[in-house]
Amino acid sequence: MNILVQKFGGTSVASPDNRALAARKVVQAREANFSPVVVVSAIGRAGAPYATDTLVKVLKDIDPQVPPASREMDMMMACGEIISTVVFAHTLQTMGFKAIALSGGQAGIITDDSFGNARILEIRPEYIHSLIEEGYIPVVCGFQGITDPASASRHGSITTLGRGGSDTTASALGVALNAVGVEIYTDVDGVKTADPNLVPKACTLDVCSYEEVAEMAHQGAKVVHPRAAEIAMDHNIPLWVKSTFSDKPGTRITNEPAVGGSAGRLTGITHTGKMVYIRLEIEQPNHKPLVEREVYRMMARAGINIFLVTFSPTSLSFCVPRDRYPIARDLLDGMVVPVKNEDTTGGKTGTYYIFKFSEGLDLAYSVQRPLLAAIEEHVNIVDVPASVIESCTMISVIAAGHRRIPGMMATIFETLAAAGIAVYQTADSEMSVSCLIPESEVDRSVRLLHKRLFEN
Amino acid sequence: MAASVNTVEGTAPANVSFERERGVYALEVHRDVAHAIIEVGEDAGRTGRILRVFSSLSSARVPVFLIKMHRSAVTLAFAGATTELATEVLRGEGLSADIRGGLTLLVVRAASMRDLHGVMTSIADALFDAGARLYETGDSHNSVQCLIEQDSAEAAERQLCARFQLSTDAVSHFSVNVEAAG
Repeated sequence: MNILVQKFGGTSVASPDNRALAARKVVQAREANFSPVVVVSAIGRAGAPYATDTLVKVLKDIDPQVPPASREMDMMMACGEIISTVVFAHTLQTMGFKAIALSGGQAGIITDDSFGNARILEIRPEYIHSLIEEGYIPVVCGFQGITDPASASRHGSITTLGRGGSDTTASALGVALNAVGVEIYTDVDGVKTADPNLVPKACTLDVCSYEEVAEMAHQGAKVVHPRAAEIAMDHNIPLWVKSTFSDKPGTRITNEPAVGGSAGRLTGITHTGKMVYIRLEIEQPNHKPLVEREVYRMMARAGINIFLVTFSPTSLSFCVPRDRYPIARDLLDGMVVPVKNEDTTGGKTGTYYIFKFSEGLDLAYSVQRPLLAAIEEHVNIVDVPASVIESCTMISVIAAGHRRIPGMMATIFETLAAAGIAVYQTADSEMSVSCLIPESEVDRSVRLLHKRLFEN
Repeated sequence: MAASVNTVEGTAPANVSFERERGVYALEVHRDVAHAIIEVGEDAGRTGRILRVFSSLSSARVPVFLIKMHRSAVTLAFAGATTELATEVLRGEGLSADIRGGLTLLVVRAASMRDLHGVMTSIADALFDAGARLYETGDSHNSVQCLIEQDSAEAAERQLCARFQLSTDAVSHFSVNVEAAG
């Protein structure tokens, strides 16, 4: 069986015309003697009647103060793909093909019970294989699975796979079915060197590595979800990114290591969402690690990811996503970290560090600080001033082996500096160089860097 | 569902069953790293001086990594073998640099790092328990990099392995060379 997994995103199934184009891709695969297995996302994007966000809103609107239980939330979110699958299977049936709609569970996708972000544990492909042998085109719900039906506590509960879940479904099914390839259909004709909405001259890459595409996705590009790329990479299954709306060949994603040879390779420019940069001044270097630990612990406890962690002898800086910043600020402002003094000369046995945001944002500090006055003769009370840059974002140049490209950071910094664009912070990994810049400068930065790095 | 695993070095965690296990799966220890704190001031000439740092080191083909901006300084790391050259280049540009050699870069690798909370807490706890002073960190979607003194590297390695339940197979040792560094 020459199984080919074809995944269609929300835009590709959003309207009857689009679905007809998507169905044409399935028919073409069939005519080329492949056995297609289709994976679909929910119909349309936010605001569309059956889009996942719309369905979630129905639950949340019942009482905005009471968050829905994660199990029930997953059942609701899974509805969008179920509707889409049935509509797409019926579209194929009306064209004269034997097609059958399958939920994630019916397709044999078994996950753990991390509702909202479940991890695929196993795929039982026997039923899909038997359907293909009977001449059916299976149309499978993306983004969902079920817990093991044999599990006593969670038997067969519907789960969702989290962001990019339909890509993950497609990749995983490709592996489980031993497919000849996985095609991810979207509204652009492959992996681009930049967001084409910002850079009309952005080129489509003919080929790129799993690592490059995973890095691009992690750094904000909306191409293939990194989990899907990682599954394809770990199991060495061919992946393609193509457009539903054109017959262009798309981008082939290969298993060749991105870092190889001596030259390095530029792949693209990406940008992430909104971020807030927080800088904490901790004036005593010997106590700094203890205070920092409490900051990390507090952020972890609140489920807040921190990025771009930077040290100096007397400061700690990091980024948090903008939507998490109010929680981070509320937790940190007025937080007290007591540290035992090693040197007790002067009779002070400890130092109490209290975090203080700038005026107007320091409500907790302004309440807590006077309370500490009562113990000030026994301990030192030290402020940890926090300064904040609220409107920033991260722009990244994806360049496998950039550490072998002389002057990559110099080129990026020079380009941005020449345009008067502030660089608040930088980060680099084996695959990319990133700069934290003002959010208002994202469009201009992407265009300038694309021109400098890709259009010469 | 086990299948063949593409073993691109440094990218694929061990024991892939279907989807990657979320969490820390490997530790890399890169020895012989140097760290520089280069003064660039806070005045109007700051940007120009930062640019001179990057372009002069680039022209001298000194690969750098863990580049970080501070109010009045830029910090970066490079292979210990290039310390002499880097010092000479920066001095030639009239830039004041405090360079410290004998450091080790620990790279903690994790899958789905952005879906996890508390990896940094665990690393900070492990390094603190090992008595390792942290000079700089870097983070990406699949790693946290920590620059520490070489003398405390062994203790840090032990603490990190214990904290993340890593076997000796999950630890790789490297010597940073000019080609491999940034």
